[in-house]
Amino acid sequence: MSATTKLTAAAMFVIAASFFMLAHPVVAAERTVKIAAWGAKSGPLRSFGVNSEAVLKGAIKAINDSGGVKLGDGTMAKMEFTYYDSACNADQAISIARKVESQTAALAGIGPTCSGAAAAMYGIFQKKVDDKSDSGLQFPILTDTAIRPGLAKKSQWTFRNVPNEITMYDALFKWLRSKYPDVKTIYGGTETDQAHSRITFAAVIVQKARKYGFEWVGGGIEGVTGKIIAGMKNVLKVSKSSNWLLADTNFSVQARAFKRSGADMMIISSHPFTTCGMLKEMRRQRIRPKVLVGLTSSSSAETLKGCSAAAEGIYIPTGFAPITKAAAKVAAAAEANGGAADLHSAAAWENAHIIKQVVEATGVMAKPETLKADRRKVRDGLEALVKVNGLMGEIGRVQNEGESIKPYVFVQAQKGAWKVVHDPR
Amino acid sequence: MSYYLGLAQLIGIHTLLGLSAYVLMLTGQLSLGQAGFFAIGAYSAGILTVIFELPILPALLAAAVIAAFFAFLVGFPALRVKGLMLVVATIAFGEFVRLFFFNLSWRVPRGDIVVGPDSTNGFREIRYFVANGWSPWEITAFVWTFVILIMAALWWMDRSRAGAVLRAVGEDELATQSVGVNLTAVKVTAMTAGGFIAGIGGALYAHTATYVDHLTFTVLLATFAVSYPILGGLSSVFGTLVAVVFIQGVLVEGLRFMGDWRNIVFGLLIIMAMNLKPSGLFDARTAQVLKRAVGLGAQEKSDA
Repeated sequence: MSATTKLTAAAMFVIAASFFMLAHPVVAAERTVKIAAWGAKSGPLRSFGVNSEAVLKGAIKAINDSGGVKLGDGTMAKMEFTYYDSACNADQAISIARKVESQTAALAGIGPTCSGAAAAMYGIFQKKVDDKSDSGLQFPILTDTAIRPGLAKKSQWTFRNVPNEITMYDALFKWLRSKYPDVKTIYGGTETDQAHSRITFAAVIVQKARKYGFEWVGGGIEGVTGKIIAGMKNVLKVSKSSNWLLADTNFSVQARAFKRSGADMMIISSHPFTTCGMLKEMRRQRIRPKVLVGLTSSSSAETLKGCSAAAEGIYIPTGFAPITKAAAKVAAAAEANGGAADLHSAAAWENAHIIKQVVEATGVMAKPETLKADRRKVRDGLEALVKVNGLMGEIGRVQNEGESIKPYVFVQAQKGAWKVVHDPR
Repeated sequence: MSYYLGLAQLIGIHTLLGLSAYVLMLTGQLSLGQAGFFAIGAYSAGILTVIFELPILPALLAAAVIAAFFAFLVGFPALRVKGLMLVVATIAFGEFVRLFFFNLSWRVPRGDIVVGPDSTNGFREIRYFVANGWSPWEITAFVWTFVILIMAALWWMDRSRAGAVLRAVGEDELATQSVGVNLTAVKVTAMTAGGFIAGIGGALYAHTATYVDHLTFTVLLATFAVSYPILGGLSSVFGTLVAVVFIQGVLVEGLRFMGDWRNIVFGLLIIMAMNLKPSGLFDARTAQVLKRAVGLGAQEKSDA
């Protein structure tokens, strides 16, 4: 055998061994509670994944610093997590879910960021537990960010800890009605190719505004009675000249439509990137409504970084603000880890603690031979939860749907910071 | 194992997408409308299995025929434009299809749930495989049966007169026309075949992902479709497969452990691959080397 052949053979062996090691991570002798998390760490929504990872890192450190997680036999185990980048992409979210379920010893998953990716990913999970005719994945997921209503009920293995926008906007408009009795008319727009923004605007926000006596400028919208979803298509029809797309960078036409409307209250239902574009254009065109309302997802640090001056005065309901001791601790931990805590990312902290609580309550063993049973225990434990402690107070669980009822506050952008202006907790 | 099987399914589906562009590129046409045909296949097959409750095989074939029909229709106006103009025209078609599905709402009750395409909410519940207890192995085998059949058909075609005609049109339209080849028929047939293959790919995609929405079928997907045959090389159908394995298997999945650096390395490796193998990862020379390695070259020599 020539030296070249030997060298080639050795190199191939090293490559093959490295691949094997990557594909089959060595299981540590010490027992650990492993969590897998994934979200958008690339693409336009990158900040969502970065923030979630930063918060999760802080949560795991806090759990381990306080002794770790108590297993079924009384052993204290450390908690570990791995964060994967699934972008905002359904294929990647599905691929990671499959990888985590079959290639790792993770007991539960946290993620993904985008509702579209979550909707696709949830579909590959077993719909009903113990249904032998369903070959879907059997691995518990507790989503922190994807917020579009009604997703978790797709599978009995999927759960979410995200705010309920229907409740939050109902309370917001009720509060605005009493605070601004002279405000009569509303007008607004949304990024129509972003499902969360569009649906929340057309099916929730406008209806809730109508419910509390705010009328769309120029008369009511046909079919909009104040009931959720009613007249949704007509909302999008009447706002067609004031809507935009996620990738848009020019908002002059939409802002002009806002200006022409002369509405007392203006609504911008979009994510931070286009929210800032629209707000800056409104400022340039000197549009000053009496009240400005935004989408929950824009109550983030990104909005203030991007357009704090233009955003001045905007009201947004949110499930997170650093107003409790625990929430302030999370905000500090997130910042220390290079991220920011907001209504989406802060849920990652709660999720890690919920998983700890469930592991301890259900007697998880965290051994390689008990992995399947442990995952089932975690799922059953999540299903059984009625109430858990959250950063802002008690979080209620909707058992049959896998969803949460989270406490919330109303924040307003004031001098480059989010200030809590109403706390209905 | 389900992860590797899922990856194999994805590679198979993207190979079909790449092959749909490959057929067209043999005739010298660059289409960014393949994502549109893929979307038509995905939504059609989903509607057939979810709303009409058809079994997967007839649904898949019907979806492929529907996609092929639209490709046939697109083929005629596309003949009037070439090069960059064709690229722009097919992008417009792809966007038209995407926005059509963005607005499509067709919901019907099925038991205790409502199913069907739901506009911007996407099309959920395309769960034929898992709902019927198909194992990951069975799904993978099903996907790859189509991949192998289509690759074999294209491989055979490449060695027949039809393949020679396609390549001749791609090399020099005028010369080919001057020897009596009907350019319209060749180009429209290639477009239709590309639509058929993309339709099958889309149908399989919808059923493995269980969910589709308009954002799945953007220009980015169309760019991937043409990147596969370009990166893999047009000398053989295997080039597309090699490129899909390289992009989806190595770059997208294999580099995931690199975290934030993944996208940078992704771009660098693509640039390196294009520079080191400008005729494609699986060019004629690589094919010859492989043939010699497995003894086929020697056999061909002795036959000669």
